Amino acid sequence: MNRKWIAFAALGALTLSACATPPQPAQPAQPSQPQQPSASRKQFEGITINAITFSGPQIAEPMQRRGKEFSEATGATVNVVTVPFSELYQKILNDFATGTNSFDVVVFAPQWMVDYVEPGYLEDLTDYVKNNPDIEWEDIGLFFRDFSATYNGRIYTIPLDGDFQMVYYRTDIAKQLGLSAPETWEDYLNFAKAVSEAKLTTEDGKPVYGSCIAKKKAAQSYWMFTSIASAFIQSKGTEQGAFFDTETFKPLYNNEAAARALEIYKETTQYGPPDEINLDVGDTRGLWTAGQCALTIDWGDIGTLAIEEGSKAKDKTGAVILPGSKRVLDRKTGKLVDCTPELCPHAINGINHAPFAAFGGWSGAINKASKPEVKTAAFAYLKYMNQPAQSNVDVTIGKTGFNPYRVSQFENLDNWIKAGMSEQAAKDYLGAIKASLNSPNMVLDLRIPQNQYYQQIVLDGALAKFLAGEQDIAATMKEIEDGWEQKTEELGREAQLNAYRATLGIKK
Amino acid sequence: MRSLFHSRSPFKPSPFAALVSYLLLGFWALLILFPLYWLITTSFKLPADVNNGPFYIPFVDFQPSLHAWRYILEEVGNDTRRNFLNTVVVALSSSVLALMLGSSAAYALTRFQFRPKLGTVGVFLACVLVTIALFLVVGLPLGASVAVGAGLFVISLLTISKRFKRLLSNSDIAFWLISQRIMPPVAVVLPLYVVYQQLGLLDTWAALIITYVAVNLPIVVWLMRDYFSTIPIEIEESAQIDGASRFRIFFTIVLPLALPGLVATFLFVLVFAWNEYLISVFLTNARAQTMPSMVVAQNATRGPQWWYLSVLVTIMIAPVLGLAILLERYIARGLLVGAVKG
Amino acid sequence: MAFLSRFGLRSTFAMRSLMIRPLAPTKRLQSQLSFSHRLERLAPGVLLLPAVLVVLFLSIAPLVISLLLSLSRLRFVAGGLQIQFVGLANFERLLFGREQRVLFGVLDTPNPFGWAILALAAIGLARWVGSALRARAGAAAALGRAVSAVLLLGLLYLVVASLFSEGGRPGTLTVTLLYVVVGITFQYLLGLALALLCAQQLPGRTFFRVIFLLPMMITPVGVGYLFRMLADTNKGPLEPLWILLGMQDFAWANSAWGARVAVMIGDIWQWTPFMFIVLLAALEAQDVEPMEAAIVDGANGWQIFRYITLPAILPVSTTLILIRLIESFKLIDLPNILTNGGPGTATETLTLYAFRIWRALDIGGSAAIAYILLFLVTFIATLYVRTIRSRIGGGL
Repeated sequence: MNRKWIAFAALGALTLSACATPPQPAQPAQPSQPQQPSASRKQFEGITINAITFSGPQIAEPMQRRGKEFSEATGATVNVVTVPFSELYQKILNDFATGTNSFDVVVFAPQWMVDYVEPGYLEDLTDYVKNNPDIEWEDIGLFFRDFSATYNGRIYTIPLDGDFQMVYYRTDIAKQLGLSAPETWEDYLNFAKAVSEAKLTTEDGKPVYGSCIAKKKAAQSYWMFTSIASAFIQSKGTEQGAFFDTETFKPLYNNEAAARALEIYKETTQYGPPDEINLDVGDTRGLWTAGQCALTIDWGDIGTLAIEEGSKAKDKTGAVILPGSKRVLDRKTGKLVDCTPELCPHAINGINHAPFAAFGGWSGAINKASKPEVKTAAFAYLKYMNQPAQSNVDVTIGKTGFNPYRVSQFENLDNWIKAGMSEQAAKDYLGAIKASLNSPNMVLDLRIPQNQYYQQIVLDGALAKFLAGEQDIAATMKEIEDGWEQKTEELGREAQLNAYRATLGIKK
Repeated sequence: MRSLFHSRSPFKPSPFAALVSYLLLGFWALLILFPLYWLITTSFKLPADVNNGPFYIPFVDFQPSLHAWRYILEEVGNDTRRNFLNTVVVALSSSVLALMLGSSAAYALTRFQFRPKLGTVGVFLACVLVTIALFLVVGLPLGASVAVGAGLFVISLLTISKRFKRLLSNSDIAFWLISQRIMPPVAVVLPLYVVYQQLGLLDTWAALIITYVAVNLPIVVWLMRDYFSTIPIEIEESAQIDGASRFRIFFTIVLPLALPGLVATFLFVLVFAWNEYLISVFLTNARAQTMPSMVVAQNATRGPQWWYLSVLVTIMIAPVLGLAILLERYIARGLLVGAVKG
Repeated sequence: MAFLSRFGLRSTFAMRSLMIRPLAPTKRLQSQLSFSHRLERLAPGVLLLPAVLVVLFLSIAPLVISLLLSLSRLRFVAGGLQIQFVGLANFERLLFGREQRVLFGVLDTPNPFGWAILALAAIGLARWVGSALRARAGAAAALGRAVSAVLLLGLLYLVVASLFSEGGRPGTLTVTLLYVVVGITFQYLLGLALALLCAQQLPGRTFFRVIFLLPMMITPVGVGYLFRMLADTNKGPLEPLWILLGMQDFAWANSAWGARVAVMIGDIWQWTPFMFIVLLAALEAQDVEPMEAAIVDGANGWQIFRYITLPAILPVSTTLILIRLIESFKLIDLPNILTNGGPGTATETLTLYAFRIWRALDIGGSAAIAYILLFLVTFIATLYVRTIRSRIGGGL
C-alpha cells in the first residue's frame, strides 16, 4: 500500500514541474544570428508577425497558406493564432485594452472597427495605402474602399472579403411554378406562399419550404431583419443611414417602415420549416443544399456551397440583389409613402433597393503598438493577400470564406467555372453581387461604439420575443427604440452621433 | 487484501430481481449509448449525409467517409495534437494537485478544530479591497499595491482585529470554500485575465493549472470531508498510540481507506478540467489552447460543422473513458471492512 | 463537531498563520520540541492552509474586482480601461428598470392552484418561524428565520405569479430556479436508483458502471451540440418517430415548454452520472456489518434501505445536492447551444443573459447579475446547509 502513495506523491511532483511553460509550437527557428548585410538577405528577415483571426477553415486557411508564401518571399515569419469565432471580438479588445499586445495583425469584421479605432488601438493605414500603388486600391469596390475600410476619412483596414446579403431562389422551382425572381419584398412573400401551397417535395420525399431564413435568437437573425427593413428605411444613398437619424440620432426602428418589415419578417415564418425560429445560418444552408428551400436570405456563401459535392441545389441556385420596395419611409412623418424620383433617387424601375453589407467582410488591421518594422512587414503581408494576383483566386475557393470585393474579380468567369459553377450560375451570382456592390444605396452595418449591444442585445432580443409571440409589433418597436435610446443616453448622444456620422463619411 | 474486494450476501440479488435490474440498467445504457452512437456515426458522414439525413447504419444507409477525421488529424493535425497535449497536461496535473491539496484540507477539517477570528478575516478582506482599489482605480503598480495592502494588514492586525473576538468554525471555512464556486465564470474571467497578465502567465499551462486547482478544490474538500467522516476514528487512534505521526496516519491509513471516494472525486474534477471552456479560451492564445476551444470553433460563420465536432468530441471522450475503465475497479467495496478487521 | 470531542481528538496545535489562532504552548515548551514534534503540531495547518491559500489567491481578486465592475461602467479608452463609477445604477436597471422584465418576467394574479401553493408555503414557513420562537433559540435566530421566510415567500410568489397565472411569463430568474429544482430532483433520484442497481453483485456490472459515466465526460458544449443534432426534427435520428406520431410539423423549439423540457432532458442526461458515481462510491464504502446483522434479523430490502443504507449515504447526498445546486445555477452551455435562450426568452438562464450582455460589452451589468446570483445562491445554500444538512448531521 505504501508504494502506491509514494507514486501518488511522485505524480504530484511531476505535475508541479509541468507547470512550466508549454513547448513552443512547431515553427521555424527564429533567426537570431547577428544581422550581417548580405546579398541574399531577404526584406523582412528576422521579423515575426503575430496574427489573430477565428478558427476557420474560412479566413484562417488563406491567411496561413498565403502567410507561408509570404515568408518564403520576404523572410518574415507569420504566426496565425485562431480562436473560436464567438470569442474573437472580446479577445482582441482585451488584448489591446490591457496593453498585452500579443498580436500585430488582427483580422476581424469591420463592424467592430469603431470599438478598436476610437481608443486608438489601430494603426492609421492611409499613408501606407498611398505609398503602395501596387495594392491597386481603386480596383476594390467603392463601398468597401470608402465605407468598410474607412473611419472618419482615414483608412484603418485592408479588405480581404466582401460581405453583403442577397436573396437566393431556386431557378427550377420558379420555372415549374411560373414565378420570377423576387424584385420586391411583396414578390418574395408571394413566391414563398406559392411554393408553400404547391406542397412540393424533394426526390427523397422531404417537404420543400417556401422560405428559409435563419431566425435563431442570439445568432444572426437581426441581420436578416435589417436586410428586409432597410429597403423601406434607406433610399437616398449610404450616407442617409438606415439605423439612426443623422441629425438627432433618433432610432429609425419605430415607424410604419419598421412595422411593415416586422410584418413581412413574421409572415415568412408561415412558409418556412416548422422550427425556423431555432435555425441558424448553418441550418438554413444545410436545408438549402438538401434542396428543401425555395428562397433564402444569405451572404455570398450559398453560391459556393451550392456547388459542393452532394448538394442538391447545384445549377438550380439563382441569386438576386436584396428585394426592394415601392414605398419608403418619409422620415418627417414616420409614414410609408410611394417612391418619387426625389425620395428614391437610386430606384430601379421605381423600386428602391437597399443592399445590406451585413457584418462587412473580413478585413485586416495593424496594431498601433507594434514595432515600426513589424508594422511595415504586417502591411506587406496584408497587401500580399489583398492584391488581385492572390485574392482573385482565393475568392473562388469556397473554403477560404472570401467573397468577391474587387471589380476585377467579376470580369473573369473562368475561375468561377473552374470552381464548379455553370456559366449561367456564375453570371447570375456575380450579377447579383455586382448589382449590390455598385449600388450607391448600399446599407452600411451599424458601426457606432458598442454596436453589439444595440444589435445583439436590444434588436435581437426584441425580434426573438416578437417571433415567439411574446409581444406585438408596437411593443417590439417600442422596446427597440427604448433600448437604443437608453444606451445612447448612457454613452452620450453627441459622441454616438459623431461616431455614426463618421462611419457614414459625413463631414461636419 | 484481494479477497476483500469480494462482497457478501446483502448485495447478491435474487434471479428475478437480477432480471429487472438488467432491464433497467439496459434501458438506461441505451439512453446513453444511442446519442454516442449517433455522434460516432456522424463523424463518418459527409456534410450531404447529415443534411439529407437521418441516416443510421454505415454502409447500409450511407457510405462512411474519413474526410472529417482526415481534416482534424491531418490538415489541422498540428493544432489538434498541440491542443490535445495541453488538455492532457493541464487536466491531469490540475486534478492531481487539487486532489492532494483538497483531500489534505478535507482531512484537516474533519479531524481538527480551527478557530479563525472573525476580526482577522474581516481586516484581511478590507486590506485586499484596498489593494485592488489602489491597483485598479488609483493606478498604482501591482507590486506597490500589494505592499501597501500587506502593510495595512499587519498594522490593523496588531490593533483593530483584537477587538473582534468572535470565532469562526470549520463549517464556516468549508462553506466559504464552496461559496467560491457560486460566481459564474463570466464574472471572473476578466479579473483573472488581468491578474495573469500582470504575472506574465497568459497563454501558459501554469495559468490554467492554478485556476483549475482553485476552482476544483472546494468540490474535492466537500466530497472528501464526507468520505473521511465515515471512516471510524478508532483506526487512527490506535495508530496514534502506536506512535505514527499525523502525516503518516493520513497518507498510509486514511487515504487508502477513502480510495473509492478519492477515485470518484478524481474522475469528477478531471472531467471538469478536461472540459472547461470559457476560462481556457480567455487565458490562452495558441500555445496553451485546449480542446474545448476547438470544439466551439467548429461553429463559425458557416454554422456548426457537425462532422468535425463529432470527431473532436469522440477524441475527447476516449482518453477519459479509458481512465474511467482503469479506475472503476477502485470504486469497490471492501477496503474499509478489511482495514477495520485488520 | 460533536464526534470529535467524543473521541477526544480535539487537537492542540501550534500554528502561526493569519487566520488560525494557535492555542500556543508556552515559549519554553516550544523550544524543547524537536523538529518532528513541531511538524506534528503544525499538521492541521499544514494540511489545510495550502488549499485555503490557493482558493484565496484566485477568488478574492475576481470577487472584489467584479464588485467594482458591478458598480461601474466600463469604457475602452486609449491606453486601457476607464472605470466610471455609477453607484447602484446597474443593479437598479436590472431590478427596477428596463431589464426588470428580463429577470422577473411578467407577473400576474396567480390562479387558484397558485394561491393554494402560496398558502401552503406560507403556513409551513410560519410554523418554521414559530418553532424558533417556541424553542427560545434567541431573538437573532427567530429574526433570521423570519427574514428568510419572507425572502423565500417572495421568491415563491415570483415563481407562482409567472408560472401559475393567466398572463404571467417566467423571467430568467424563474427559469433558472425551474432548471435547478427539476434538474436536481431527477438527477438525484435517477443517480440513486442507478447506483443502487449497480451496487448489486451482478455479472457485467463493470460495463454498466463505466457506460453510465459517459455523459459526464463530454464537454458541456459538446453535449449541447449533441442534443441539437438529436432534437432536430428534420434530419435528426428521431425524425421517423415524429412522423409516426404525426408530428412532422411539430417543433419543440417553437413552444416555450417544449424548449425548456429539451434543455432539462439534456441537463439531466449529462449530470445524472455525477450523482451516480459519488453515490456509488458512498454505497461501496458502506459498512457491511450492520446490513448483515439486519438480514440475520429478517429485515426486508426496503427496511435495509430505509434504516441502514439511506442514513449512511445521506451526508454525501446533502453535499452532492449542494454542489449541484451551486453548479445548476450557472447552467449556460445547454440553453446557449440548443436554443440560445429562445423561443423569445423561454429558456434563458440568468448566467446566459449575463454572458450575452457581457459579450456586448455591458460588463458592469453582467457583473451586477453575477452579484445578484451570488446573493441568491448564498442565501439558498446557507439556508439549505443550516436547516437540512445540519439536521441530517453531515458533519457541520
